[in-house]
Amino acid sequence: MKGVSGWFTLRGKSVNSLAYTFHRLTGIVLLLYLIAHLSFLTSLRIGEETYTAFISTTVRLETLPLDSLLFLATFYHAFNGLRIVLNEFGLLYESRKVLIYVMTLFALIFWLYSTYMMYIFLTGW
Amino acid sequence: MEREVLFRIRRFDGKWSYWQDFRFTARQGMTVLEGLYLIKENLDGSLTFRASCRMGICGSCAVKIDGKPRLACETQIFDMGDVLKIEPLDNMPVLRDLVVDMDGFFRKHEVVKPYLIRSDDDYKNPEEFLQTPKELHVYYDFSLCIKCAACYSACPASATRSDYLGPAAITAAYRFCADSRDEGREERLALVSGSNGVWRCHFNAECSEVCPKSIEPAKAIQKMRLMSAIHMIKSIFR
Repeated sequence: MKGVSGWFTLRGKSVNSLAYTFHRLTGIVLLLYLIAHLSFLTSLRIGEETYTAFISTTVRLETLPLDSLLFLATFYHAFNGLRIVLNEFGLLYESRKVLIYVMTLFALIFWLYSTYMMYIFLTGW
Repeated sequence: MEREVLFRIRRFDGKWSYWQDFRFTARQGMTVLEGLYLIKENLDGSLTFRASCRMGICGSCAVKIDGKPRLACETQIFDMGDVLKIEPLDNMPVLRDLVVDMDGFFRKHEVVKPYLIRSDDDYKNPEEFLQTPKELHVYYDFSLCIKCAACYSACPASATRSDYLGPAAITAAYRFCADSRDEGREERLALVSGSNGVWRCHFNAECSEVCPKSIEPAKAIQKMRLMSAIHMIKSIFR
């Protein structure tokens, strides 16, 4: 058996494997975010000041690129997941490669819009 | 037309694994399998690989060429670059050079009972089982599998779980479940509905991309999933 490296081997593989690998990677990113998010929320048990202090370290212009990357991971994972659900129900199976490009395009559009909105929120423009 | 090519072959002597380069002049029309025979006959007699029919029927010569599982007998050297990286298939133990142990792969195939199951089997008085062209069309494509294990090698689910049946075995199960003459659907569904069966597939669909017979094993797995889901819902109400 090739092991976990089989998930990330892209040489000689098609765009399906690229989508699969990104889905795994973004899934890991979202899992790490979930842990951080729950830790932040748990800090409310200590007190509102602690929670506010935590939030103030992350919600600012300097961390916008990280937030933006998180949104990219989220939108990619969501749209690619939707594609997998459709294909696994036997829908649009023959157009699976076109669907990968379409869903990635959707993810990019949503990502750019969300980054723009976050920028507006943080700068007040 | 001739061209000098380099075959970079992943070799394994039973203990050590290493790359070895072989340079030779290839003619137009020469396949990778012919290149391997040329090396074995003229450059290194110890090179080990599997081959039989030389015409894409037996599936013995499947190897990874430039990272993609392909049949060596159906791959033209001139369609590839000047340097060809040739490796044994993934997800199976390597026995020697390009030969892998396919025993586990065939055992999994055997598990799904890839034959017609009938309650009225009578070998002493055999009779024809009639089938319309429409009924044949439902499973025909999936019956073309040559068991080369290219799909199994490309499957990332098979890379991490040794008990996963794999695309070829599930395709064989679907081929027989979709056959109008078969009566073993329930029996077979019980075998492939576990966590090591259809639900293990993560729809990478690389199996369909590498299949030399364009069988679309990923499609068979999704169809088998639907059958399995219906089977499980029905079994709740029984």
